Parts: sequence; C-alpha cells; structure tokens
Amino acid sequence: MADADKKVIELFYDTISPYSWIAFEVLCRYRSRWNIDLRLRPFSLAAVVTETGNSPPGRVPAKLKWMGKDLMRQAYFYKIPFRGRKDPNNDMANKHNINVMLLLTAVTMDCPQHLESLTRELWLRFWSREEDITQPASLEAAATAAGIPADQTAALLAKLQDETVKARLTETTQEALRHGAFGAPTIVAHVGGKPHMYWGSDRFLLIADVLGEEWQGPLTELAHL
Amino acid sequence: TSKMAAPARKTVEFFYDVLSPYTWLGFEIMCRYQQKWNIDLKLRPFYLAGVFKSSDNRPPAMVPAKSQYMGRDLWRLADMYKVPFKLPSNVIEVLFIKGSLNAGRFLTAVDMNCDQYLEELTRQLFLRIFYRDEDITEPASLLSAAMKAGIPEDLAKQLLSTIKDQTVKDRFQQTTQAALDYGAFGAPTIVAHVDGKPKMFFGSDRFELMAHMLGEKWHGPLPELAKAKI
Repeated sequence: MADADKKVIELFYDTISPYSWIAFEVLCRYRSRWNIDLRLRPFSLAAVVTETGNSPPGRVPAKLKWMGKDLMRQAYFYKIPFRGRKDPNNDMANKHNINVMLLLTAVTMDCPQHLESLTRELWLRFWSREEDITQPASLEAAATAAGIPADQTAALLAKLQDETVKARLTETTQEALRHGAFGAPTIVAHVGGKPHMYWGSDRFLLIADVLGEEWQGPLTELAHL
Repeated sequence: TSKMAAPARKTVEFFYDVLSPYTWLGFEIMCRYQQKWNIDLKLRPFYLAGVFKSSDNRPPAMVPAKSQYMGRDLWRLADMYKVPFKLPSNVIEVLFIKGSLNAGRFLTAVDMNCDQYLEELTRQLFLRIFYRDEDITEPASLLSAAMKAGIPEDLAKQLLSTIKDQTVKDRFQQTTQAALDYGAFGAPTIVAHVDGKPKMFFGSDRFELMAHMLGEKWHGPLPELAKAKI
C-alpha cells in the first residue's frame, strides 16, 4: 500500500498520564493492522490543563480510587506492566517534571527513530518500576536503556533548556489545544482532509469506524513488553 | 450422559439517572447484552445529584473545551450505537436546574411495584429528555412516559401518587447509598458480580473490559438490536 494512502494519526501524550500509555501501546500495535501513519507528539499536559481551566482527575477521592483499579484492570487486559504508585497524586505533582517532555521533544527534533523506545522506557520507569525520572542520571539511564548512543544522549541532555526545544514543546502543545484538547491522551485522526479529535484511551471503536478499519481487540500478541 | 447444569447468571446492577446523557448510551447497550450474555440485569434508578454531593464530585462539563468535546463525542457515539440522542435546547436548565428527583422517585415506585415496566419506562424518559426535548419533572410528563411504556393508566396514576411516600423516598435513597457504598462518584455506575465479588465500572465505555471479566464476548454496540424507537 502506498504511503500516501495511510491515514495520519497523531497521539499527543505526556508520560505523566497513565491512560496515555494505554493509547500509546494500542496505537503502536495497530500500526501493523491498520493503514495508518502514527505520529507521536509529546506535549505538556500541565500546560493543557492550565490553559483550559481543567483540573487533574484525582481531585475526587472515590474517582481516584476507581482509576487505580481501572488502570490495573486495563493493564491486565492490554498486557501493559502498569503497576501504579503508592502516592500517585503526590508523585505526579512532585516526581515528574517538564524536563521529561523536553527530552522527548529534543528526541523528536534530533533523532526521532528513538522516540518510541524512549517514550516506553520513561513510562516503564515512572509507572511500572516506580523509579525516578527527574534527575539527569535517571534521564540518562532511560535514554541508554532505550538504545540511544552515549554521545547522542549527552547532546540531548545538554540542550533541554534551549529555547528551540522549549519553543517546539510549546508549539506541539498549542497544536493540541487548537484541536480542542483539554487532557491526555489526545488522538487526532486525519480522514478525508478533516481532523477528528478523541480524548482518552477508550474510543478505539469510534476511531476504527472513522478510519474504515476494524477493532481487533487488545492485540496482546503484539505487546512490545 | 451427565447433564451439566446451566451456569448461574451473573448479576449486573446498572445504577442510573435519566439526566445523564452518557448513561442512555450505556443503558441501551446493557439492554441489548441481556440477550447475549449470561447475565441478570438489575436496573437501579439512583439520584446522581446525591452521588455528586456525597462524593464531592461535579458534573463533567464545567470546562468549556471539555463541554464542546462531549457534545461531539455524544453525537458520534449515539450515531454508531443507533441511539436517537439529541442534546436539549437548554442544557443548563434541563440538566442542572430542573433536575430528576421526581423522575427518579417514580422509577423507584415502578421498580417496587411492577418492575416488568422499568426498562421501557426508563427508555421513554430518556427519549423525552434526550430526543424530544420534553420535560421530565411534571406529573403529566411522567404519566405520559408511563403510558408510552405500556403501564395501564390507573396503575400509573396510583404509582405517581406515591412518589412522596416515605417508603419510596427511602428506597430511592437506599439505592443511591448502595451505589456510593460500591464507590460510585458518577453515572452510570455498573456493578458486575463475579465469583461473589462486586466489580464496579464507571461510564459507558468499559463494556469490552467488563465482557472480559464476565468471561463473555464483546460484539460491539449491536446496533441491529436497537430498541429505542422514535
């Protein structure tokens, strides 16, 4: 099939968001089943939440409790090694920061062939192994585990605070906002010249429908993990 | 040859409020799956306003970008599921001001006395609010829905006269509390009882996961089994 026939799907995601991990793994698996061109777009969920006047979902205790169970069930169903964190609200506020998304942005700019593996490694660190992802040494370890050569890793870490990288993260985030984003994941399927925006990791039936494809379930046999 | 007893039906409780648009979608899917899955579906009308208050939650569409998205999302889902959903012309008034207290109590009275009509009465109330943009708070509105649901007129009037009785109020409040005890914070709240354990699901978008946990198969929204006739 000609590449021009492939329908572009953009996944706007932030590694702070566990539901984004589900969408990420599902879309990665569906690259081999659907005629799609998956574009990974790391963005800043914090900025989206602030801009839209939204609030994090964990504000309601009963909802936070349910989300923990929901994520564990979905992790089992989709075969994703999500294990949660002992204090998710505190950790999302204090143990994840913008440098993670700046690193992913720098990778998008300089060596996009590593974007998928680094994204996965960061999710594994934060939401599977409860490891740190704020210290430079942690980011270095993640990049190494993702297969990024040492000199490239050093170069990426050195440019995290560059204006070009910050500007690119801001642009990507603004693009998501223009599509109507208010949370993560935000998926945009481009069909017939029109963008179709979906929020969350539970609209794959609708996405399949708009793409003219068929939903084939969790495809756990294609799990990368 | 030995005869195997049919496996016992699994109870699935569907806690709902007819004010909630996503709930109508979930309700129609659950009703279709009554025929496909080995389940005993129990419809449990509750009071969403009460659930919000007790769980310190708020209705979802307070964020403008989210509200805009939800309008499109509901339309897309309803189109795919073949549910004739339309947002009311005055959403704020219908969903946040007029409320559903009388409707919820009336559904409770029907549940207590003639629950064979509960499914269709529920559907008729959803059609009033989310298809024909009609009132669901006045006695005449509730009577009209009851008769469209096939409830004999004298029975409908008699049940309508009981909605402020303490027994009905108590039952309505108990159902709401039961949902809260399962961890509810919104609607729909669906509780599937599997191996003696209650598994709570929030929302109308967990059916594939629920099927997996019930040991059943998900066949999508089954639009061919649509019952909401307009």
